[in-house]
Amino acid sequence: MRTKFVLGIAAIVACGTWIGAAALEASGSQVVGMRRLTEHEYRNSIADILGKDIVVQGTFEPGIRIGGLTAASTAVLSITPAGFESYSKMADTIATQATNEEHRKRLVSCQPKSAKAPDDACAAEFLGHYGLRLFRRPLTAEELRSRVSLARTMAKSSGDFYAGLRYGLATLLQSPEFLFRKEIAVPVDGKAYALDPYSRATRLSYLMWDTTPDAELLKSAEIGELNTPAGLEKQVDRLMASPRLESGMRAFFSDILMLSTFDNVSKDGIFYPKWAGPMGASAAEETLRTTIALALHENGDMRDLMVTRKTQINRMLASIYGVPFSFKGEWTPYEFGPETGRTGILTQISMLAMFSHPGRSSPTKRGVALNEILLCEPTPTPPNNVDFSEVNDTNGPRKTVRERLMAHANDKTCASCHNAVDPLGLSLEGFDTIGGRREKENGETIDVSATIQGKSFSGAEGLGKFLYNNPKYPACIARKLYSYANGLNSEDVDSSAFKQGQDAFQKSGYRLRALLKGLVTSPQFFNTSAPVQEASAEHVKTASP
Amino acid sequence: MKLDRRFLLRGMFQGSAATMMVPFLDCFLDSKGQALAATGQKLPTRFNTFFFGCGLTKSLWVPKTAGKDYEMTVQLKPLEAYRNKLNVFSGLRIPFDDNPNYQHWSGVAAAATGISPSKQGQFDSKTIDQQVADVISRGARYKSVAAAASGNAKESYSSLGGLNTLPPETSPLSLYTRLFGPGFQDPSSPNWKPDPSIMVQQSVLSVVAEDRKRAMMHLGAADKARMDQYFTSVREVETQMATQLQRPELTAKVEIPAAPAGDMIVNNALPNIRKNVPLMSRLGALALATDQTRVFNLSISEPGSQIFIPGDSLGYHQSTHEEPIDPILGYQPRVAQYNVHSMELFAMMLKELDGVQEGDGTLLDHSLVFAYTDQSFAKIHAVDGLPILVAGLASGRMKGGYHIAGDNSTVSRVGLTAMKAMGVGVDSWGMNSMETKSPFGELLA
Repeated sequence: MRTKFVLGIAAIVACGTWIGAAALEASGSQVVGMRRLTEHEYRNSIADILGKDIVVQGTFEPGIRIGGLTAASTAVLSITPAGFESYSKMADTIATQATNEEHRKRLVSCQPKSAKAPDDACAAEFLGHYGLRLFRRPLTAEELRSRVSLARTMAKSSGDFYAGLRYGLATLLQSPEFLFRKEIAVPVDGKAYALDPYSRATRLSYLMWDTTPDAELLKSAEIGELNTPAGLEKQVDRLMASPRLESGMRAFFSDILMLSTFDNVSKDGIFYPKWAGPMGASAAEETLRTTIALALHENGDMRDLMVTRKTQINRMLASIYGVPFSFKGEWTPYEFGPETGRTGILTQISMLAMFSHPGRSSPTKRGVALNEILLCEPTPTPPNNVDFSEVNDTNGPRKTVRERLMAHANDKTCASCHNAVDPLGLSLEGFDTIGGRREKENGETIDVSATIQGKSFSGAEGLGKFLYNNPKYPACIARKLYSYANGLNSEDVDSSAFKQGQDAFQKSGYRLRALLKGLVTSPQFFNTSAPVQEASAEHVKTASP
Repeated sequence: MKLDRRFLLRGMFQGSAATMMVPFLDCFLDSKGQALAATGQKLPTRFNTFFFGCGLTKSLWVPKTAGKDYEMTVQLKPLEAYRNKLNVFSGLRIPFDDNPNYQHWSGVAAAATGISPSKQGQFDSKTIDQQVADVISRGARYKSVAAAASGNAKESYSSLGGLNTLPPETSPLSLYTRLFGPGFQDPSSPNWKPDPSIMVQQSVLSVVAEDRKRAMMHLGAADKARMDQYFTSVREVETQMATQLQRPELTAKVEIPAAPAGDMIVNNALPNIRKNVPLMSRLGALALATDQTRVFNLSISEPGSQIFIPGDSLGYHQSTHEEPIDPILGYQPRVAQYNVHSMELFAMMLKELDGVQEGDGTLLDHSLVFAYTDQSFAKIHAVDGLPILVAGLASGRMKGGYHIAGDNSTVSRVGLTAMKAMGVGVDSWGMNSMETKSPFGELLA
């Protein structure tokens, strides 16, 4: 049945346009997912389809973190009026650039009969081509007809063929078929559904390259290759061999490590004058560079991310790390000495500064974040009526944060969470709120020992080894990568869903590529269930009356 | 976000606004907005919200007596100049029904919707500003405009319901550009004419809208609602364009400043917020006066405010939880200081609204400003007694100068009162235990 469907599609495509609506009905297809493009996905898609020199300027609606991933919110958020207004303006400026004299030679493949008059054939070729690329599937006959018609009207009224193309292209760029990645599934047997070929291509491409499927991937969808295990593997290997895998994995790590939220972190300039404007961006970049170098360039063991002393720094970061920066170029590889106590991304400025207050470190914030990000163990919110006064009174007998936090241990309700969270953070107390090294707090030597789940360790290096040896850490990466790929709340995902990927990950000695390939070539990866038809609890109620 | 300034200026020179080259900052800080007589038509009543995090300190803000002529309190003191155009509400209750007390959220959602939220971070209906906008915004360019003075794109409490908040402008420059950048024509300009490019864009949008039927096919319920929202947004921008083809009915003669040369620093440091709030408020007031919008939402922080005074290693939110209550004073002194700053920032917004003369009064006289917060006592995440302040006289439909001691009324009574004053035809507001049919009738003229 699947073969028949694919052949059907291929036949229709060969005829020029895809009568998609009819095909959907005939095959019993369902839209099983709708992901709003992220800002990066949008920008990368435009650069790939229309060229890197097309300027994309405008605001994008923000995502929300759900289950530790912003990606999960792309499957539940819509487009608000202000958001659409911005998309609409961007569509117009992009289409204007794409059809101007500078770009039309490259982007418009056909020659109109006259540059001053409508030409339906050339307009249809242009809009059909970019329609396929932007919608990640061929346009339906009706979708193409309405746009060719608009192009004709506009070319006629303006006396400019290319103005017609401009407005036709603008309609594609603000269409929901571009702004959302619709995932379409076809029934495979009685109940189960599996993604159709174009949706497979789209899911793979945005996961692995953070961008729209390229011509070869679309072709492979068109000819049904992605529906065979061998064809799928061939394309997956191709995507993984490309340097563009870096963009895809940067987007993933930026999401799970919360680096995209770093922009809104403020530090108190009175205590920390070294913290200036672009520091946040530099710190996030350091962590991404470290991660990508280890995971992709060196094909390393992902557990080493907790213990490696190798990093890449720039001048700004060097000043906080206390490293003389006498290198050429903006970024340089650097290896901390063992005496620095630095250990993997745990002690990078990004992770230390993001989970601190503006003027003070916070073992609890750090512990909560590490538990959620690295071990997939979210902490419940504290009870409403809690007296934190003890924690704050720096003039009292308790000089260090540790002593003040210990006050929580006397309260059973508090202790249940704080005992699971604080030790992680307390072991990082040798680093201040912007990630600088320190030995003392308010004159007292800082105690960086910690005990968690019966295991005792000391300092950041002890924490690094604890996480390195904790099987929950690689399992969490597998869970998050699967959830990221599918736009799911990672807390709701059953571990059987990503088992094949996780097994491959473990077997390979925790190489990211093995995990990725194991996940996407798993027979379950493109399987899905039909969407809920009746209004769910998510449904928004209208206020009375 | 980076803006191309040349692009911005080109837009300005094409528009008539380029005739006014008042330096941005000078204008904002000094200009009073010269008043001209209104053209005689009825002025629209505008709606604003002002959101501040972490509440106030009960012993310092609640007036001792109810009604008019209450003795001004320490924390309301910054609003003294506007007391005759201000009503303050104390002692209001927020029942949770079957929902938990979501920290720093239940109060926000209850005040803004009259519904105890069923999820953290989510509104269970449209927020009050959107409910009002549905009724009053026809004819204005934008249905509503939101701005976040601390620069965080997530700090908008204006929502269509669910998780979809309406994104705010996050700097004075981006707010300026949205309101007075390309596409803006000064309604007072003698050269005003409908922009033909708008009609072209209307044709583009109608092609987009034509795809609706197919786009809605084969969707599950949740995605259908999301797709429907997309097309509602398309319709709203279509309406926006239709409006732009009509010359706005001017209500005040105000000067639209030239584009700013550079942007301000936007973050959670209080000194920066104190610079940005007057600028954003001024732009909001100009937008209301020139009918670019009739609904303006300004937030100074998130709930659980991350505002900090440089040198205070804890910041506002953490102070509310960790600062001990002074045994002699009976409150948290540093928190109380942050509370006062919130009211000073509110006063800055009111100053801009009250500084625009139109018709027989000021913009503030023809507005309502709904100011609210997330907690009544942030230290313990309490919400009962949530401070709410409503400024403005709603073109005479609202009386001013009262302290309403709520006596355990639900917080939704304020929302209903505001809806009534805005002329929205509702008999009840809120849901479940907060559903109410009783506005504070003594305030409605």
